[in-house]
Amino acid sequence: MVNVIQQLFNGLVGGGFLALLALGLAVIFGMLRVVNFAHGAFYMLGAFGAYLLLTEAGVNFWLALLVVPAALAVVGMALERAFVHRLTQLDPLYNFLLTFGITLILQDLIKVRYGNQSQPYSRPALLDGSVNLGLFQYPSYQVFVLGFAIVLCLLVWLLLTRTRVGMIVRAATERPELTRSLGVDVGRWVTPVFGFGIGLAALAGVLAAPMRAVHPMMGSDLIITVFAVVVIGGLGSIFGSVVAGFGIGMAQAVGNLYVPALSQTLVFILMAVVLLWRPTGLFGREGVLT
Amino acid sequence: MLTIESLSAGYGEAQVLREVSLNVTEGEVVTLVGRNGAGKTTLLRCLMGLHRQQTGRIEFLGRDLGRIPTHHRARSGLGWVPDDRGIYATLSVTEHLTLARPTGPDPWPLSRIYDTFPVLHERRRFPGTRLSGGEQQMLAMARVLRMGARMLVCDEPTEGLAPLLVQRIGDIIRDVKAHGHTVLLVEQNVHFAASVADRHYLLAEGGIAEELDNTEVRRRESELLAYLGI
Amino acid sequence: MREVTRRSAAVLATGTLLLSACGQGGPSDDGGEISNGKVVLGLINDQSDVYAELSGENSVEAVRMAVEDFQEDNPDSAIGEIEVVDADHQNKPDVANSKAAELYDQRQADVILDVPTSSAALAVANVANQKQKIHMNVTAATTELTGESCNKYTFDYAYDTYMLAHGTGTTVTEKGAENWYIVYPDYAFGQDMESSFSTAIEEAGGQVVESDPTPFPNDNFSTFLVKAPDLDPAPDVIGTMQAGGDLVNLVKQYNEFNLADKGVDLAVGLMFITDIHSLGVEAFSGVTFTDAWYWDYDETNRRWADEFQERTGTRPSFAHAGNYSAALQYLEAVERAGTDDSDAVVAELEGYEFDDVFARNGKIRAEDHRVVHDAYLARVKEPDEVSEEWDYEEIVSTIPADEAFAPVEDTECEMG
Repeated sequence: MVNVIQQLFNGLVGGGFLALLALGLAVIFGMLRVVNFAHGAFYMLGAFGAYLLLTEAGVNFWLALLVVPAALAVVGMALERAFVHRLTQLDPLYNFLLTFGITLILQDLIKVRYGNQSQPYSRPALLDGSVNLGLFQYPSYQVFVLGFAIVLCLLVWLLLTRTRVGMIVRAATERPELTRSLGVDVGRWVTPVFGFGIGLAALAGVLAAPMRAVHPMMGSDLIITVFAVVVIGGLGSIFGSVVAGFGIGMAQAVGNLYVPALSQTLVFILMAVVLLWRPTGLFGREGVLT
Repeated sequence: MLTIESLSAGYGEAQVLREVSLNVTEGEVVTLVGRNGAGKTTLLRCLMGLHRQQTGRIEFLGRDLGRIPTHHRARSGLGWVPDDRGIYATLSVTEHLTLARPTGPDPWPLSRIYDTFPVLHERRRFPGTRLSGGEQQMLAMARVLRMGARMLVCDEPTEGLAPLLVQRIGDIIRDVKAHGHTVLLVEQNVHFAASVADRHYLLAEGGIAEELDNTEVRRRESELLAYLGI
Repeated sequence: MREVTRRSAAVLATGTLLLSACGQGGPSDDGGEISNGKVVLGLINDQSDVYAELSGENSVEAVRMAVEDFQEDNPDSAIGEIEVVDADHQNKPDVANSKAAELYDQRQADVILDVPTSSAALAVANVANQKQKIHMNVTAATTELTGESCNKYTFDYAYDTYMLAHGTGTTVTEKGAENWYIVYPDYAFGQDMESSFSTAIEEAGGQVVESDPTPFPNDNFSTFLVKAPDLDPAPDVIGTMQAGGDLVNLVKQYNEFNLADKGVDLAVGLMFITDIHSLGVEAFSGVTFTDAWYWDYDETNRRWADEFQERTGTRPSFAHAGNYSAALQYLEAVERAGTDDSDAVVAELEGYEFDDVFARNGKIRAEDHRVVHDAYLARVKEPDEVSEEWDYEEIVSTIPADEAFAPVEDTECEMG
């Protein structure tokens, strides 16, 4: 029993990453109707950003946690202005291809600089070791990651539900045309929201650096799962993507324990089942794509 | 107040609107009657800047709307009430009323909105889609009044509503008119149209076929109903 | 999606190459002397993806070193010009297949070296057999090259899963770590390693308490790490068959969960020195694994490694040294045969015994074309034991050439 609880806990930690990435993806999709394939690349850049700051400027993890997402959010906004923006009126496939191309370029740029290997990044000294969670010992850093991811999701939730910006994002996600016809300048919020989503991905990347391989391909390995999470949660549903992120994380952990052979395909099986049962995903609504 | 001249629009190859011209003067309630597919909704979408007009000119309050983006049209006083009512599932009733800022020429204060629509005050914390059809219709109209619309552009507000609620919507439109607002109404319910409107345009095959007044509508009601396929 | 897109690109590329190959036709091989007046050494490997660091372009450089050393030692060689050509197979068997045809036919390669990724290696071996040209595989792990899929023109040079399993599995078990928990990536290489390790462990008197396939790639191994100490009986050691980024993930998380303190050691199935370098020695310290060659093993190795570093800026992995050695042995066989005719060179190679900077007590078995040589059980040093960059390994013991690889009697190879 303790083992299962601990596995669920593992799943929550892994799910935290999925949730942060899916959240950013969902916000961007909601506001722009763009499936941002480059999301995984920005996750990777987040981790490499932390590594670069540490090795080139001696900037520690905590500062990197602030600086890297902010800097990459600005990069994201520039990309949105320069490229993504020009294609939003066309078939969504164009932006999918664009962001796919951006992904390949970013990955290869990192490969040119660092080669195709992992870079070392240690845990912050403060979070070395482990803590007693009552039932079991658990690595402090992973506990921190989970707590941080939950707090962050809550903050984003508050931002979306309690602020005017959040209200506009929700409205534009649901009915972009209608929202404009109510005098809201939706276009003004598109670029900041894109930057915000990218910032979340970068933040997840910085968080990943001390516990995962800082590798040029780390994002593209993960992004497919994140897509599945977003689909399961319901395309365009911000709440759904967070719930599905943590849920899939736990399902994977428990799945690994009982049916390891299925672990690779589990998330896609779940996706298929959910789509058969609810074609719009767990929390999705009809018509988001029309 | 609103003048549309020779407006044409379509989807790809399909021409939906051909050289439509009409005008609405301040304080009037004007209906646009026509069969399904006659181009009524397209006309309203062109008016809001949500659909590209191919030719023609739309002038509102003396200003050519040609290149004006949607949100500026709304702020200048056009209040769109879409045919599906446009209620958000993720916004509460209060949020519906605050999403559109009171930027128009004549915003209603919230207190006046709640006085006019007490049910919205009662349900102010409900998500929009939890309201009944009639309540949603009221919310959609209240929202643009709150925004300060000079002219309400209502797309089939009575569709799917029970007779009692249709009557209520009629009262609201008359009330709104009494307060000096202008209303452009798309309607298939000829009887209802005649009960609230001053003038009527009959839209057929993408163009204005006829302009009718109330007495004419009443006189030719059965003919019109047959024409509309009701 | 990425896979699909890349695959269609690969298919296009393959198609294009096949078409161009058809147009040209192969050069005729008259069996005498040196064909085309030159010997061409070809390499096919991964120059941009996961195996680019451990082999890649630096292996091409190692082969150039072999050419220079050969020419220096044989100033009167009958071999005139020696050319080195290479191609990137992106770890895809279909690309490897067409690149091999291209190298043999158009670029007149007499031998193809390296070829990481087992499926790609098997594809190249197949082309070699069809075209009756030599393939000396250095970087692929599969035992199939010298087993079921062996052929007259293919040699397996540096290592295989048997060597890794019997080096690490047998030695660690004999040292008292009897209970193993194996985690392996769920694809051909991982499955092959899992079965080789299980066999080796059981033969040495140990037992595999459990073995779990993991997703590939995977970034979260905590399920397996948490489960490990609670297995019954509790495992003494986790044997991981992960490679590249996955291995780094697993080791990072192994350290986080403090499993070493709980008495669960870590043994790594396949590790290259470049893996240790990328993650830092502290992440791996104490880990046991089998190495085919280590740059700082003795003076000879070190001297060669110094030269290699001068040319590439980095220390060599065993794959680099293996490619050097394979190129050198090939050239010497051509020299002895007096021709680059494949059949004559194969005859020279078969049964040949030698010592060089890579292979100690080396022998090219005629029966299955397995090149046997000493292997080494290595332990990753503690950070305070490290005296210079790349000083990562302590060689715990040498596994003699005749024990390091599967006995020739057991081979499934039938050289037709």
